[in-house]
This record gives sequence, C-alpha cells and structure tokens, in this order.
Amino acid sequence: MKFISLSVLSIILSFSVNGQKKIEYVEYDLPNGLHVIIHEEHATPIVAVSILYHVGSKNENPDRTGFAHFFEHLLFEGSANIGRGEYSELVEKNGGGLNANTSQDRTYYYELLPSNQLELGLWLESERLLHAKVDNTGVETQRSVVKEEKRQRIDNQPYASFISEMFKRMFTVHPYNWAVIGSMEHLDAAQEEDYVNFYKTFYVPANATLSIAGDLNVEETKKWIAKYFGTIPTGQAINLYRDFENLSDGDFQKRYGTAKSVFDAKDFMNSKSPEAKKLIAQYAKLPVMIPRPEKDKEVMKSVIKDTIYDNIQLPAIFMGYRFPNQTSADSYALEMMNEVLSGGSSSRINKAVVEKKQLATFAFSFNYGLEDAGVGIFAAVAADKVPLDSIQVEFDAQINRMKTELISQEEFEKVRNKFENNFVSSNATIAGVAENLANYHVYYGTANRANTELENYMKVTREDILRVANTYLTQNARVILYYLPKEN
Amino acid sequence: MYKLLLFAGLMMPAILFGQIDRSVRPSAAKAPIINIKDSQVFTTENGITVILSENHTLPRVAFNMVMGSDPVLEGTKAGLSEMAGSLIMSGTSNRDKDQLDKEIDYIGASLDASSENIFLSCLTKHMDKGLTLMSDVLFNASFPMSEFERIKKQNESGLLSAKSDPGTMASNAEVKVNFPNHPFGEVMTESTLKNITREDIVAYYKRAFTPKGSYLVIVGDITLDQAKKLVDQFFGTWKGGEATKAESNDGQFNKGNRVIFVKKAGAVQSVIQVSFPIKMRTGDQNQLPLNVLNGILGGGGFGTRLMQNLREDKAYTYGCYSDLNITEDGSWLTIGGNFRNDVTDSAITQILYELDKITNEYATDEELNLTKSSMAGGFARSLERPQTIAQFALNIIRNNLSKDYYQTYLKRLEAVDKEAVLTMAQTYFSAKNCNIVVVGNEEVVERLKIFDSDGVIEMLDAFGEPVKETKAADITKEQLIERYVLAVTSTSSLKAADKKLKKIKSVSKATDLNMAQVPFPLKMTDIWMAPNMDGMKMEGQGMVFQKAIFEGTSGSSWNMQGGKKEMSAEDVAAKNKSNGLLPELNYGKTGMNFELTGIENINGKDVYVLKVMDGQSETYEYYDVATYMKVKTVSIRTEEGETTEMSTAYADYKDVDGILFAHSLVISVGEAGFSGTVTSIEVNGKIDLKEFK
Repeated sequence: MKFISLSVLSIILSFSVNGQKKIEYVEYDLPNGLHVIIHEEHATPIVAVSILYHVGSKNENPDRTGFAHFFEHLLFEGSANIGRGEYSELVEKNGGGLNANTSQDRTYYYELLPSNQLELGLWLESERLLHAKVDNTGVETQRSVVKEEKRQRIDNQPYASFISEMFKRMFTVHPYNWAVIGSMEHLDAAQEEDYVNFYKTFYVPANATLSIAGDLNVEETKKWIAKYFGTIPTGQAINLYRDFENLSDGDFQKRYGTAKSVFDAKDFMNSKSPEAKKLIAQYAKLPVMIPRPEKDKEVMKSVIKDTIYDNIQLPAIFMGYRFPNQTSADSYALEMMNEVLSGGSSSRINKAVVEKKQLATFAFSFNYGLEDAGVGIFAAVAADKVPLDSIQVEFDAQINRMKTELISQEEFEKVRNKFENNFVSSNATIAGVAENLANYHVYYGTANRANTELENYMKVTREDILRVANTYLTQNARVILYYLPKEN
Repeated sequence: MYKLLLFAGLMMPAILFGQIDRSVRPSAAKAPIINIKDSQVFTTENGITVILSENHTLPRVAFNMVMGSDPVLEGTKAGLSEMAGSLIMSGTSNRDKDQLDKEIDYIGASLDASSENIFLSCLTKHMDKGLTLMSDVLFNASFPMSEFERIKKQNESGLLSAKSDPGTMASNAEVKVNFPNHPFGEVMTESTLKNITREDIVAYYKRAFTPKGSYLVIVGDITLDQAKKLVDQFFGTWKGGEATKAESNDGQFNKGNRVIFVKKAGAVQSVIQVSFPIKMRTGDQNQLPLNVLNGILGGGGFGTRLMQNLREDKAYTYGCYSDLNITEDGSWLTIGGNFRNDVTDSAITQILYELDKITNEYATDEELNLTKSSMAGGFARSLERPQTIAQFALNIIRNNLSKDYYQTYLKRLEAVDKEAVLTMAQTYFSAKNCNIVVVGNEEVVERLKIFDSDGVIEMLDAFGEPVKETKAADITKEQLIERYVLAVTSTSSLKAADKKLKKIKSVSKATDLNMAQVPFPLKMTDIWMAPNMDGMKMEGQGMVFQKAIFEGTSGSSWNMQGGKKEMSAEDVAAKNKSNGLLPELNYGKTGMNFELTGIENINGKDVYVLKVMDGQSETYEYYDVATYMKVKTVSIRTEEGETTEMSTAYADYKDVDGILFAHSLVISVGEAGFSGTVTSIEVNGKIDLKEFK
C-alpha cells in the first residue's frame, strides 16, 4: 500500500503537468446555431473576442478561388452601422488591436480589447456576421490590396510558391489543389453577385464559433451575446433580412413575391403583419446549406518530380508525402516523428544535412496538418555549389532509417519532454486560449482538448512512430520539387 | 464532389428577441485598473544586475543574460560580432556541440545566444539542468575550428541568399546611407567575411562576455529566494574585465533627398524605404511625444495616415508603415512597404506628401485621440506578458529613467497635445532630407530621378556597396570611338566626320551653374580653338572665381584663392594627349593610354567604360551602349598627396551647326555638386584669349 512504484508516478505526472491550470470554460449553442465558448481569466484587464467561420479556400468554387481569403479583407469594409475604415478605427481608438487570417479550412477574426470594451467587440463581430457591407467600392479596393499582398508575400519572395506548387501536384481532386490566396483572374472575373452569394452561404451563425476569453463576467457576457448575436435571424431568414436591407423594392418583390413594405424596417424580426411573420417563419425553417468537399481520398501512386525556376540564388529541394488529416489518430505519432527528424539543433536532419555533411544552409521537415488531409514536407536550401541530388540522397537515408529502426529511448524521452513544454506554452496568452478553444471545437468536436491534448502524445510509443513512418513515408509515391535560379 | 451538411441547430424554431437598435454603439464599461507589478532588483558581487519578474501562472521560467558593452566599429571585419553570436552555441570545453544540443533538447528547453546575450527558457522543473548548460556556454564556449569553418561557409551561402531577398537588400542599403562610420551601418559582405578569423571571434567573446555591467533578467515561476540562490550558485564565480564603452555618432543627416536604387531582377514589387536618422537616445523626454507622432503617421494599426492613404484609399500596397527606432546607440525613422512596380513613384510621392503634411499642420483631435488610446491599449495589453514587466525594469536601470516611469506612462501619454506633436514633427522629421531606398525592377529607375535633389540616383548592390558590375564589351575601343564620333557629328563615315570637324575653328560655350550651397547662379564659359587651344572661366556676382588657358605648348590656371599657376611640362605633355574638338578621335595618335574595360550599369543604363590615362590623371568615360553618346566622365587626379575626383554627367544633346553638344550637365567635385544648363554655344565666333589668362 505504501509503495508506489516510481514508473507509475512518472506516468501520472506526465498526465497532469505540474501546476498547469485547467482551462475552464462554458459553451453553448444559440438557437440560430452559433456556437459560443467563454473562458474567464482575470490576470490582465483585457479580453479576446474571436469568431471562427468554418470556411476556407477548400469551400471555394474552382473557378472562383481566393474568395475565402478575399472575404477576410472585405469584411473589414464596414456594415450597415459601421462606416468604411471604421472597424479598425473603433477598435484602435478604444485601445484594442484586431486582425484576421484565412487558411484552407477556416477564416478567423479577432479583437484584443481592454476588458471594459467587451461589449464593443461583441457588437462589432455581430455586425460583421449579420450585415457586412459587400459592395463594389469595397470589392474594388480590397481586390488591389489582395493583389499587393500576393506580390509581397508570394511572388516577390524567394521559394514562397513551394506550398502551392506542392499542393497543386499532390491534390488533383480535392480543393487543397489551389492556394489560399487563389487566382487574381478569378477575383477580377467575379461579379458583385458572386460576392453576395458567398457571404450568404458561409457567413451565417450556424457556420460560426464565437470564442471569448479574458477578464470578463460570464453571466454579463452571456446577456450581451444574447442581445447582439441572439437577435440574428435563423436559417435563411438571415438572408431574407439581408435582401430586405440591400435589394430595391422591385427586386425584393420579384424574389419573394412580397413587398418590402409589409416588414417593420426598425424591428424586422418582430414585424407585425401576418404576411411578414409568415415569410420570416418560413425562411427561418430553411437551413443554409454549407457546401463542403468530401474528405480527401486520393491516393498518390507515383513519384512526381518537377523543376521550378525562381528568382533565387541558392537552389532548394522540397519533398512532399501524403499524411492523414490532422484529427486522425496517427497524426500524433507523425508529429513526434517529425520532432525526431527536425525538432531543435540535435534533430537528425539538422545534424546530418546541415552540420555534418554541410549540404544545406538550412534544412527541416514539418507536418502540414489540415482538416481533410495532411502533407509531410522535407525542405532544404542548398549550401553554395551543392547539387540537390546529394541532399535528396541524404533525406532518403534519414527516411530509410526512420522506417527501419526504432528511435532511441533517449530520442523518445526528448520528444516527450518537448511536447510537454509546447503544451504548457500553448495557453500562455488569452488570445491563444480563445483560438485553441475554437479550433478544438471546430476540428475535433470538443474544446476540452485544450486540457487533454498532451495525453494523446504521451500515449504514442516508439513502435507507433516506426509504424507511421512506414505507412506514410512512401518513397514510391511523393512529390519532389527542385527550385533552381531563373536565368536573368 | 460536394456534400451538403445540415446543422441541427437550424431545425429549431426561431426565437424572436425584442427590438435592439444596432446603430447604437456600446459604450465602455468602467475602465479597468492597470497594475504594474514591481520587479525585484539585486546586484551580485561580480557586477551582474539581476531583475526578477515573478509569474506563477505557468510552470516555466526564462533567464536572459544581457551583456553591458556598447557596439563598436568592425570595419573590414564587419559581421564579426554577428558571427561570434552564432558560434557561441558551438560547444564548450566540457561538451562538444552534439552533446550540448542533445542535452538542451532533452529537457525540451531552448537555449539561444547572440552577440550580446544568452537566453534560456524551460519548464521550472528542469531549471537546474538548464542553468548548468547556460553557465557552461557563458564561461567555457570553445569555438572549435571545424565549427568556425562551417559557420563561415554557411554565412557565405547566406550572403548569396541575401541577394534574392528584397527586404534584406533594402535594410542593408538603408543602414549604409543613414549610418556611415557607425556600427549600425556595417554590413557583412563576402570580403569582410573572408577577413574574420577564429582568433577574432575568441577575442570578441572574451571582451564582450563579462559579468561587469551585465544584466540577468529572470521571468516566470520562481521566487526571489530561489533566484538569489541560483544566481549565486551558477553565476557567482563568473569573472571578466570591464564592459566596453563606446560613443556612437547620431548618423548622417542629408541636405536634400537622396534616391538609392538596388536592382532586383524580375521583381514584381518595389520595396520602398524612406528614412532618416533622429538625434535622440532611449530615455529622452521627447521619446513619448515622438512615439505619438509616429503613431499618427503610420506606426501600426489600420487607422494611420499612411495606411489609410496608401492602402485603404489608393490600394497601392498591402501595408505601409512608419517604424520609429529609438535606441541607446542611435535612432532613425523608416517609412516603407512593398508596392507594385507601376505605382512606385506614386507611392513615394504620397509618402513624402504625408511626411510633409505632418510637419506643417496640426494633427486633428480625432487622430490624436485615436493614437493615444491605441497606445494606451497597447501598453495595457503588453502587460499580459511577464517579459514586459521585466523589460520595464531593465529600461529604467539602463536608461536612468525615474523609478515611476512606467507607473506614470499613461498619465504622461494623456498629456501629449497637438502642439507637442507638431513640435516633434518640426524638430525631428522632414520630407526634404530623406534617404529614399528602392529595391526593385530596373524598369522603375527612370521614374525615380525626380525625387533626387541632384537627379543622380545612386546604385547600390545587395549589401549596400556601390554597384560595379562589369560585363565584357562586345566591340573594340577603336570601334567605340568611331561610333561615338559618328553619332556626335551625325555622319556615316570617319571621313565625312573629319571633313565636318575641319570646318570648325572655334567653339565658345556658356553654361549656367547652380549649386545648393551658393545662393547666386554661376556662369561658366568654355572655349576651344583649332588646332589645340582651350580655356575656361567661372564667374558670378560680377566676380571671376576661376580661369584656365592652354595654348598648345604652355598654359596657366588662376583661382581667387591660390592666384596664378603655370602649367608644368608634365601637365602640358598630358594635355597634348587630348587634342582636338573631339579629342577621343585622336587618342590613337597622341600617345594616350586608353582601354575599353567593359560594360557597366549606371542608373539602369548599360554603358561602355573607357579608361583613359594621360600620365597626370585617370579618367573613366562612360558611353551609352544604345546610342554611343558620352553620358558621364569621372576624372581622378592626385596632386601633392591629395586626390580630387570630379564627375560630369552629360544629357540633353542638341544639334549646334551639325554637331551634337550636351546641354545639361551635372558636375560634382568632392562634396560640392552643380547642376548646369548650357545657355549658348557659338561656333566659329570671335574669342578673346586674354579673358582666360
């Protein structure tokens, strides 16, 4: 009874990190389908207000690529009650900061505010969700801005096209085929109607997760959420309302067979006329269908090898493998495998490719985990005068070793320690907590993974790592890209 | 390919809420009280100032050992300290690099070093192990030769990469032009890298890594007692000399705008950086109001003037910011961003417009309030990071700030008014003395000239060095001279040219010269008379400043200060090698030593370079590859140990009696620059040689 074995103790300890506070939160759905997560934490008098829209480049129409990211820009243009440029002004003049980002899977907006401005943040986000301004003026401006963003972040940066070049070859069926930034021709070709339809389809409460963290009072926060978000119409009623706001009398009549005048302009949802009530109830029952691609099932069957000429000085190599999606059970073992290969100075790739053989100025591997699929990437920028073939040979040797030998006990301990450290650091800011909770809810179906994620890593064995290396590092099915300097 | 999902939530009946008026903007609740926790400060016997900011939210801790020495000039070994920084983690006398890397990674920690600090971050439970490794590196870094060679090679490759990275190229050029003879203005190049030896690195480490004057900043899950004990245990025995103190200058202040172009082949955007130094050091009482000014102009956020004008209004860019850097060793402002090629000049115009406007007009109350609130909010948000609290304490100590500097920050910020902001702008900013660095495609160069006060764009390479790219010439020196002569005389054979030139007996040319430092215009008269005489005179305000005459076998020069001087026999011999109205035509006959060195690029234009030596001076003549016209000469002459360099740029060639003469000149001698316009050219007129004696 008295003796608890040391090994059992260390397992218990690894499951409950010393002193790590549990992240407490409340979550619920509003009747209109909006998912709400609230985390209370009073260390600093600030709050993070965020909304994750479950729409990314993978939801785009193949001849309208770049829309998801474009909306990230467009939806700062204002709303029925917020003028052009006022989003940022209102946040900044109230001492806050704001930004947004877009991936293949989601679009994420957030404000970081002094805690006494929480209500402002909620109002701002509810305006963006209910009736953002989607018109030609905003489209024109942001189209040019996005083109500049593409030039700055991709076209003018050495090697920056490698993700899109890799994905283009790896995903021929799934919409991961195209880059998040998309096609500028598509954005040019699109009409106002295309933009309006995208907004009506994806920017609806049932496709959004509101995640709030920081110095707040949960009950008061819930009241404000009910006020600003609870009043947003359900189902297609939100689009009925948007059309009511934007269409002319004639167009509205044509579309709905009802005159705009039957609705109460000041209190649309509580319109008195029976005709209005009937229409609102009817549209509230109609769900908004969110088009989502099938999870990717494509299997790579061969090696695709290509050369890309870029404005660079040093050649580079990028090798890509098909990995499972980020929520698959194997993804934990794959991430730990990647840590052995590329985590820190003592990692195998750094030691072999950069330090011992000096083949590359830098070399690394990483896992690009997404909702519908994953990609494992090996990358190296060659040292001066080193041929890319010799780097590939060394990468292959490392891959082969990973597939034939168990990693050492020492390496195993090392990566476990590393993941423990990462886990502790991942919730260091309230902005990070808000984002983690939203991500875990949307992709994994439970926000509580913010508290339990480490366990999944701690369950991985050395044998698991050997197994996933053999399953996914397929030498006869991969993409190999050589980047060479363009002749000027 | 697509399937449609239904959301359960959608099937529920809509619940209607009471009316809300969405046009009413929520007002703020009561402002939260901002508390800045005090840091603990103590010093050790060997000279370390320890700053501790406790924070027990997460079980982790960070130690940052910051050295107290000032940066010093590295000259021909530029990049030495940077390279030393990247070698510190290369192993110790107790652990080779592999062992060290393994032990750090094993505890999941990070241990990094630069030329002036070593930083450890780890979980609290691994703190002892982490500090064992950190102190080993601090005391015993061994700089093995093999690692030195490897890092050197890696730097060579890195320098190659820098040539394709527009951001690095721009900042290299920027520091070079703002901070000559200053540690900030030193950039590692292939040649300075070659000069760095392992001994240099070891010497740097011994000098710079000393406890005297150093700061140890500890943040995280640790108590004061623990910290004291650990500091004593791990750093108590550390010994070293005094920290190096070095005064740095404030940077180089321009008179007039200077355009600097760095070519990046195939660029689809121009990186623009408009910059100038600022006479200020950290802790200056003007720092806060200057920060407010910068915030209004473009110091972050979307609501700034630069962002609203260049992104939201004109859509020239993804982002345009002004970046104010106030440091202990020198300060500067940079305004910049990335802009598509065809709006490069428009973007510069708008940046200069905003800069000019903010130095001439009061900021509006709205933008002042916006910026102050935004800064106050940023200040409050930064307090979330325990590092911020420790940084505050470090700043107070390093810059002799008052103890309550950060406690009173918000109050002092609130007090900044628009008068103060305008005063700051007028004291430190100007749209007329900027360095305008553009990294981009050659196609944009021509459109940048208008921004340069002397119209001459400086071309720098990726490392901020003047461009000297020479390609082999595709013709011989004789062919070049022939084509030049045919072009200038508008003839199709040397015979025809000769015939035309023979008819010219004299030329007298008058040029108006303007010089920034001289408030009145100068007039220069040049003459030439067959077969081999020439002269010049410069005058202004009714006074003659300089004269010179050469009459074939003798000559003299005179200037206001030095009086008259006869030409020496060597001078005459040299002068006779440049014979005729187009002396180039005679280089082959007069014994002139000349060679075609190749093709270089000036202001985006390819030119042939003809090196000409007459025994007294060395002259480089530049001829346009497309038109064969002479575009520039640079003449270097050393007399009595002093070297004078004079360059003349020629443009606006116009026909006068069948010969093309340049009508626009830009002359620079040493620091002085003149821009000249030819007002008259008389051929075969009467000339009085006495005027030039």
